[in-house]
Order: sequence, then structure tokens, then C-alpha cells
Amino acid sequence: MSTETTEHHLPASDVAVNPPPRTGNPWLPTPHGVSLMARIELRRRRPSTKGYILYGILFAIVIAICLSAAIFTPAQLSSTNFEIVLVMVLGVGMLIAPSLSATSINGDSGEGVLAPLQMSHLTAGDIAIGKLLASWTVSVFALVALSPFLVYTFLNSGWRVGEMLMTIGAILFVVLTFTAVGLAWSAIAARAVASVALAHLTTGFFVIGTLIVFGVSTLLFTEEATQRDRYIDWEQLTPEAEEALNEAYMTGDYSALDPADYQCVDSEWAYTITHTEHVAWILLTNPAVMITETAPIVDPETWEEDGRAAPGLFATIHQLVSQARLGPVEQLDDHIVYDECAQLFQQAEASDMSDEELEENWAEEEARHMERQQEVANLDRAPWIGLGVTGALLVGSMWIVVNRLRVPYKKLRSGTRVA
Amino acid sequence: MTVTQEAPVLTDAIAVEGVARSFGSVRAVDSASLTVRHGHVTALIGPNGCGKTTLMLMLSGLLRPDSGEIRIAGHDPRTDSAAVRAAIGWMPDQLGSWDNLTCLQTLTLMGEAYRIPRATARERGLSLLRRVHLEEFAERPARVLSRGQKQRLSLARALVHDPAVLLLDEPANGLDPRSRVELRDLVREFAAEGRAVLVSSHVLAELDEMVDDAVFMSKGRTLGDDAAAMVADARLKYRIDALDPEALQAALTSGQVDFEPTATGAVTRIDGEANAAQALAWLVGQGVQVHRFGPVGSALEQTYMAMNEERR
Repeated sequence: MSTETTEHHLPASDVAVNPPPRTGNPWLPTPHGVSLMARIELRRRRPSTKGYILYGILFAIVIAICLSAAIFTPAQLSSTNFEIVLVMVLGVGMLIAPSLSATSINGDSGEGVLAPLQMSHLTAGDIAIGKLLASWTVSVFALVALSPFLVYTFLNSGWRVGEMLMTIGAILFVVLTFTAVGLAWSAIAARAVASVALAHLTTGFFVIGTLIVFGVSTLLFTEEATQRDRYIDWEQLTPEAEEALNEAYMTGDYSALDPADYQCVDSEWAYTITHTEHVAWILLTNPAVMITETAPIVDPETWEEDGRAAPGLFATIHQLVSQARLGPVEQLDDHIVYDECAQLFQQAEASDMSDEELEENWAEEEARHMERQQEVANLDRAPWIGLGVTGALLVGSMWIVVNRLRVPYKKLRSGTRVA
Repeated sequence: MTVTQEAPVLTDAIAVEGVARSFGSVRAVDSASLTVRHGHVTALIGPNGCGKTTLMLMLSGLLRPDSGEIRIAGHDPRTDSAAVRAAIGWMPDQLGSWDNLTCLQTLTLMGEAYRIPRATARERGLSLLRRVHLEEFAERPARVLSRGQKQRLSLARALVHDPAVLLLDEPANGLDPRSRVELRDLVREFAAEGRAVLVSSHVLAELDEMVDDAVFMSKGRTLGDDAAAMVADARLKYRIDALDPEALQAALTSGQVDFEPTATGAVTRIDGEANAAQALAWLVGQGVQVHRFGPVGSALEQTYMAMNEERR
């Protein structure tokens, strides 16, 4: 063998390289590998000149919106504009980033550029996370493009800087997760069409599907209750008695009525109480709900003293979600039986005190309502279930991706080749 | 060509013994055995769908064999897959390139993927582009390359990390005749640099002048010594054409030389160039008017064709 003597007959033009040796079969991501993979992805998916023109036009439109918003700004604080921008950031991110990531792995594999990377020192973790971050970065660019509008509307929103950062962080985390879901589908499905559709379906399930599931599952937690009321039987009234009763209702003077002329009937009716508190957690798994749950609480009573805007979009969603979490107000047994006959003929004797008593009742009712409003609006924020679900989705998706990228392959996706 | 127990494993850059791999019910590779030594070029020859690419994928450490032993540069892909991949320069049969990136960017980024510092990777990329004659495309995006040029870029990409073993899957596909000659010279250079080269191709005439050994594959099996003997035999064949074929055949018969008569002369077996020179001199001395004298042609092609005939 002449191996040793021929080993270093490099042509003069050849540049010697010494890649580090490797052993085993590492798969964990490394900072160098992840950043290199992300750089490769961002460079090769860089838009063309036409793309830049398109983005330029979009950016110009956004600037125009900002300018018009600056001109037609209301004098008082309003958080709704700001919240609409946040929704735009979320919407754009949820559409763009998963679309990009959902073609990332099967697309590369189809183009024959994935296997050469797997051959290199890049690990499965490097490729997976590099691709994830590259697709996600595009949606961060969308955030940056919208930032003038964001900053401008923020200034008038009554939110604090820390609150804004927290909610934006939650939005970016949700976008990152659904980017990972797209990547997982692209690692599972052989065709780009299928993986993009599945990625958007998954997003749709979590954003809209959970609302439907919540709605349907509330049916499982309904209570039927029957209520018995008493009425005067108008069918049986003589014309004179009916006229006298109408007269009494008009004047409020019931003393002239003769109880003997009026027959009372019992009426039974059923009503349902929905115990939403048992299934409210389904709402909380919704990523959009999770994001609104990170928004600041706006007290409907004291928002002006607190330096807030009036309850906007997110605060309203928080109230609706809190109502679901707290469940129905009325309890079955505290329903007041309505008895027309008793009211008529008993109040006839004590009609003097009715006005004040009614006032008092109303005030009590009003206070109860306000208290409930307060409770609902100020209920502790509950983003934790949503964060947990989102985090589990992120970790699970990336686990699938890394496993699918590890070589040597044990089995191949049906209908695909390695290279 | 088959692995023998005495063969020292370390001198073989590629050692494969009894490797098999199925995809579902399809047995893509049934039993493959071969060795490639450092500094040698070995051809992997077989009809379409005989399992060449699957075998190459298993060698490259991308696909796990169901059974059998593989050693690449002394590493076992089952336990040391990363080391195997690091030792291999692989040129896939599928041409993939990053269309948006320039040729030089492609090679630089690939070099960085092998943990070569960026400046060195760039320099190496430039020298490789020069080597495959793509230097004028260094700053142009890969999408403008023709098929043959992409093929050469792919070859350069396989070399960024200076691998000890090269697996070239159909490297001559889509190359113009000049590029094929250049490819042949390059492959010989790679071997001279001490690399072990395994090359699969359909262009058998090109392979003939490129390779030291050949491994034939058919229906997922490597054909061992029989095929090797056939190649060795085919290498001995010389075609002799004379103005008067009958006179030539008569002279050969009188000289007690085995030959197969052809319409224009004869085909005979001659071992070595010195013997060939002697034989020619003898024939001319016999008064035969020889106008053509030389090896029959591609030994690999003859073997390949003979093999295919056997299968029918």
C-alpha cells in the first residue's frame, strides 16, 4: 500500500482544511450550527427584487396608516387601536411563518439540498432549530415593519411598557410555536401542499376549533330547572273584571279589585343553567385567548383614575373569559317566584311602602350587578394553561422534527428518497 | 474484490460485507460486499434500480442497513455515524443547489457546516471552483448554471472538507464530452491524493479509463469474483483488422493462437502491452497487412452486456 506516501499530494491550488474530528452521532443543537443553519435559510429564502418592491409597497401602506392615525387621533386614551395592531402582528405572523416552515423540510428534501447538510457537521438539532428561527425571524420582520404604528398607538393606549413587552412576547411565542408545528408537518408529510394545509388546519383548530369545542362541551354541563309562577288567568276574566284590572295596573291602585273575580293559574316553565366553569379551561388553551390574558386588567370603575383607557378589545375578551370561568350567577334555589295574584292582592294592602322598597330592591340589584362586573373584570389573569399547551406543542413539534432529521434513517417517509 | 478474513481492515477505506436493506416489501439491496482501498477508484456498475444508490446511501451513513457490516475509514456507521459522514465526500445523484446563493457562497457555507473557519472555507471554495472550472461563476447565483455546471458544483461541494472517501453517484450524467474527460482526470487526481473513490455510472466507456476495480451489481446483489474474472478477461481482448481477413486468420491458426474470427479480422487475447507489441511485430513479419490493432474497447461495457445477456 502506498497510502501514506500519496496522502498529501495536494495540487498547488488546493487549500488545506482541518475540520474537527467527530464521533458518535450527536443530535443536540449547538450555537454555531443553529446560527449557521438560520443564516443559510435566511439567505436562500431572501426575496427577489420584485419581493422587495412588494414589501416596500406594504411598508408604505403601513406608514400611510400611521400618518392618517396621527391626524385623526381621538383626544382621550383608547387602547383598541393598539390592540388591533397587536392582532395584526399576530395574524401576519401566524400566516407567514408557518407557511414558510411548512415547506422547509420536505421542500429541501425534494430539491435535494437537505441530505448534503445532514452529511455535514450540522446536527439534526442544528437544522431543526436553525430552520425554526429563520422562519420565525420573518414574522419578527413583520413586527418591525409594523412597529411605527405599534409605538404610536401604544402611546395613546394606557398600557405600560412592561405590559406591552409581555403581550408582544406572548405573541412571538405563539408564532414560534405554530412555526414549529409547520416544521413538524413538513417533516412528516412528503408533499408541500399537504404540510402547508395541515399546518394551517392545526392553527385553525387551536384558534377557532377550541372555541367550537368549548361551545359544544358546555352542553354537557347544563342543568335543567323548572320554575313555577302564578298568573291571573286572563282567559277566564269577565270583561268588567278585565277592565278593572287594566285600570288598576294603569293607576297603581289595586284596592278596588275583588279577589273573588280573579282566578289564578300555575304556570311551569323549564330553564337551563350552563356551568361554563367546568369547561372554561378549553377556552384558556386557545392561544389567542392566552395572549389576551397577558394584557393588563382594566377596572371598569376606576380606569380613569388608573390612567387607563376605557376597557377595549382585550379587556372585553378578558371579561367574557372570566364570566365563563366563574360560571352562572344565579343559583337554582335563589330564584324568586313570581306570583301575580299575591302581588296584586297583598300589595293592595301595603301599597304605601312599595316605592321605597322597590328603589331599595333595584339598588341592591344594581349593586349586585356592579359587584359581578367588578369580579369579572378584575379576575386574575389566567394565561398559564394556554402557555402550558403552547409550550408543550412547541417542544413536541421540535421533538418530531429532530427525530425525523436524524440520520442514518431507519425508515423513510413513504414516497420519498433520501436525497 | 470480496473481503477476505486476512485482509487488514485499516487499509480499506470502504469495507462492506453482506449488507442488506429493504423498503417495506421491496428488497432494494439483498447482499452487497465490496472493498475500496485508499488511492483506488472503484466503479459500481449495474442496471437502473439494481440498488446502487441505496448502497451508496448506506455507505454515506444516511441510511441504516438492515444487516451486514460496513466500515468507512475504520468507522462503523451504526455506532459512529457522524465520523463516517465526516470522512465522506458525497455527490448525490440528485442535483440540489441553493438557487439564490452564488457558487462561492454555497461552498463557503458548506465549509462552515463542516466547522471550517469562514475565511479558510472561502479560500478552499475558490480553489475548488478553479479545480472544477467554475471560477467565472464564483459570484453568480447557482440558478444560472447549466446541468453539467451544477454537476461540477456538486462535485466541488463534496470536496469542501477534504474527505478521505469519495462517493460519486452518477457524476458523469449530463456532462459534455470535454467535461467528462476532465471529470476522469479529476477522479484520477483524487485517487492520487490518496482518497478512496467509489463511482457509479452508466457511461461505461468513461469508467474504463477511470477505475482500478469494478463491482457489478444486479438485483440488489454484488457479483463477486465471476464478474471480476470477466472484466479481467475482457481487458485482454485485442481486435486485429487486416486488409485480408482470411490471411490474418490463417496466420493466427498457423501460429496456434486462440482467436474469434470477425468479419474484418479477429479478436484474440493478449496479456500486457509488451506482448501486444511482440504479437503485432510477429503478424507483420508474417506478411499480414494489419491496418488496425488495439484493445477491443470498454472491458466494463463488454462485461455489463455479457451479464445482461446471462440474465435474459
